[in-house]
Amino acid sequence: MKKVAMFIPCFVDQLTPEVGLDMARVLQRIGYDTEFPDAQTCCGQPGFNSGYWTDARPLAERFVHVFRSAEVVVCPSGSCTTMVRNFYPELLARTTLVGEAVSLGRRVFEFSEFLVKVAEVSDVGARFPHRVAYHDACHALRELHLKQEPRELLRHVREIEFVEMPYSEECCGFGGTFATKFSMISSAMGETKSGNAESSGAEYLTSTDPSCLLHLDGVLRRRRSRVLTIHLAGILAQTEGPGGPARLNPAPERS
Amino acid sequence: MEQADKHAQNPGRERILARIRAALREAAPQHQASSTAGAIFAAVPDALGRFQQECAGNNTECLVVPDMGAGTAAVATVLGSLPAGEIFVQDAPSLRSMTSMWHEGRTVRWSSEGGPTESSSATISLAETLVAQTGSIFVSAACGGRGASVVAPVHIVVAGLEQLVPDLPAAFARLRESGALAKNSYLCLITGSSRTADIEKIIVMGAHGPRRLVVVLALGSS
Amino acid sequence: MSSAAQEFLRAAAIKSVDLGHRQTIRRAIDHYEAAVEHTRGRFNDWEAARQRCHEIKWEALNHLGRYLVEFEGRVRARRGHVFWAETSEQAQQYITDLALRRGVRTVVKSKSMVTEEIHLRPGLERKGFKVFETDLGEFIVQLRNERPYHIMTPAMHLTRSEIADLFTEKLGGVDSDDPQGLVAVARRELRKAFFSAEMGVSGANFLVADSGMVALTTNEGNGRLGTSLPRIHVAVTGIEKVIPRIEDLAVLWPVVALSGTGQSLACYNTLIGGPRGPNETDGPEEFHVVLLDNGRSELLADAEQRDVLHCIRCGACLNACPVFRTIGGHTYATTYPGPIGSVLTPNLHAGGQFRHLPFASSLCGACTDVCPVKIDLHHHLLHNRRNIVGSAKGPMSEQIGFKLWRWAMLNSRRFAFLSLLARVALRVLYRLGLEGSMIDPMRPWTKVHAAPRIPGKSFRALWREQHGTS
Repeated sequence: MKKVAMFIPCFVDQLTPEVGLDMARVLQRIGYDTEFPDAQTCCGQPGFNSGYWTDARPLAERFVHVFRSAEVVVCPSGSCTTMVRNFYPELLARTTLVGEAVSLGRRVFEFSEFLVKVAEVSDVGARFPHRVAYHDACHALRELHLKQEPRELLRHVREIEFVEMPYSEECCGFGGTFATKFSMISSAMGETKSGNAESSGAEYLTSTDPSCLLHLDGVLRRRRSRVLTIHLAGILAQTEGPGGPARLNPAPERS
Repeated sequence: MEQADKHAQNPGRERILARIRAALREAAPQHQASSTAGAIFAAVPDALGRFQQECAGNNTECLVVPDMGAGTAAVATVLGSLPAGEIFVQDAPSLRSMTSMWHEGRTVRWSSEGGPTESSSATISLAETLVAQTGSIFVSAACGGRGASVVAPVHIVVAGLEQLVPDLPAAFARLRESGALAKNSYLCLITGSSRTADIEKIIVMGAHGPRRLVVVLALGSS
Repeated sequence: MSSAAQEFLRAAAIKSVDLGHRQTIRRAIDHYEAAVEHTRGRFNDWEAARQRCHEIKWEALNHLGRYLVEFEGRVRARRGHVFWAETSEQAQQYITDLALRRGVRTVVKSKSMVTEEIHLRPGLERKGFKVFETDLGEFIVQLRNERPYHIMTPAMHLTRSEIADLFTEKLGGVDSDDPQGLVAVARRELRKAFFSAEMGVSGANFLVADSGMVALTTNEGNGRLGTSLPRIHVAVTGIEKVIPRIEDLAVLWPVVALSGTGQSLACYNTLIGGPRGPNETDGPEEFHVVLLDNGRSELLADAEQRDVLHCIRCGACLNACPVFRTIGGHTYATTYPGPIGSVLTPNLHAGGQFRHLPFASSLCGACTDVCPVKIDLHHHLLHNRRNIVGSAKGPMSEQIGFKLWRWAMLNSRRFAFLSLLARVALRVLYRLGLEGSMIDPMRPWTKVHAAPRIPGKSFRALWREQHGTS
């Protein structure tokens, strides 16, 4: 039985749990047994990005321990996967765990990366009859080199109308603590991205990264945009099942 | 002696060099080359064809002529299209012998008399080498001086096919071999007519250097 | 927070909502990107070119002393002068003294970021010299009494009609905003200066060690006129500009042209090795090279960030940066804006007040992607953040915040419990319509975002319900 361990980022756990549930649903559908090591908490990225490496380091060490025996780890976030694969070796450089961290980095995959490159599945049996644009989240694009993989998965979704938005590779402006320390710049970047999503005519904006989507969702709703956000896992989890037509889970609140 | 005096007047020199020595005790990491790396630039099989193509793209008028006799006539034609006024010419035997044909009605200032004046309507010089890869011309101080190819609104270069090299590495090799690199205090690689992109990043031709650049390229000697 | 940081926040807030500015910059950068896209095909293998440039600069910087001494020796052999300046003040002093001693009255200057760094023009003007910026973009911002907006295109933030209005006001004789006409106006104005100035000041794009030559790149020809006509030429340069061999220019010149302006080559790539030679018919009587340290040797000592000194000042990282595109070059209030400015400035002298710059980035990495010499720019932003927090310490509230965060995250039950408390509190607050109010702990977020939906159950709670504890 093929088995994967799920790495559910701390903010997904607490703010967007549906992303984790949708990812599990898709993995099960394509024949994987999913487990959730509930000792996990946070990969340490917020502290690392803010320069607090001394505080982030124990979190990284703990993470390596928690996932030590997992053969494959799948994560619905490009930035969190990047933290483990690309930055743990540097953060843990002078510790005894650096070798394990490098090894773990080879076994951790972002969700779309896992589906296309490891499971080698591009059609997960999804149906999503809407016009959808894709935002290239920065870490997924530039640190994990994922560009075609999410698009490959989206193109195989039944009845989807996929549109490329202008400047899809431009940063959405989240950037972690950047969003609160330099909120005016962050929100201006979010406005620029929102305008580009709107001009593509898309009904939904999707991405590999729930942090980008949280930020863009907040900007889009504030400007009363008709564009809705949904994580890639949310789209791939939709099927024409015995429950009837596709239902979004949960329905977004409108003010 | 003079060297020591200079260094005494500039104590910063030793301090900076000492700081550099101390700084470099630890080596910095290096990026590794990809194993699939190819040549940076493709080879240039047809230098003449490429040179002409590049000139068309960078706004250099390239007039290919069979020999220097025809070259003289070509220069005369270009000058004929310009307003009256002094022209500044590199004092070289080949250019001296050309003037008898197109000199009428024009005052000529030779580079041996000094630099070009503000009112020159055209400058004429030879070149060190021509580069096919980019449609460029390497001139030096020996080509009529530093001002020779930049002061006037029109600059004319007279060159022969044997001066054309395929690419930049070949151009530097030629400059070394000929001694031009060692002998000159100044060289300039000219690629097209003067321009700027400082207004809205739109390219506008004719900033401070020549608006019009002409290369008269003789395929053989006369 | 330093006053520079406060000023940065204030200026950023204004620029962030300036849609006209954003549109102007977007247009300019779109032109640039189209040109780069069109011209990049001239490289058979662009990645190989980047790697080669990285190797050239790595060799130069990791043997810096040797190559600088070689360069100096060859310049001196041609009767040029080389002055080593440890600080901006020393560099400025040298140039001013030289101008005074030689009876200079007028100076023509071509674009040089180092001369901005040492505030050369104000220093010369204070001593009574007339100084003309001859690079068109610099000429324009000089008329506006502004600093350059961008290291490659100083007037990128202005539209043609703004420039036309400026010329009309300051110079007269302008009848349209056609860029061709505006350039002709500048040419006319500066012609007189070129022919009358006693001193020409330039920067240097590269210092070629094996030939003892200063490589100077311009498109306009102002760099050539300014280094040919006046009787004294001073080239001011950072010590990091050195490269080992002249052949290195065969790849560096096309690369800087592509990344800087999307061209195959700049119009004029000039090599200057000394004053007028004994058999030469024109040229300056004197040639001086001022080598500036100003903190570079300290950055050199940081092996992790030494490659910041590889920068060839092409400006590509500025063009790629979404923060730069939003706030513009002036907001940084530094000589070097954008990503390179954010990693370089805190490390140069007087950089302490710019510690906010490495944090003013979303770490998107677009800069690293486009850098033609493969500087690890966005990772250096992280390194700078770590260094600043380690030495200068962040704000006390932030230090405490991260200590609490660490404590909470080291235990999954603690994390789950504390998060549950937070969620419950936020749900109550938001149900009462208090998002964005002073008691909303997420106020920094909710003042610019619609409040997030706070779920009733976390993923781990839902998973446990569905699957039991593992």
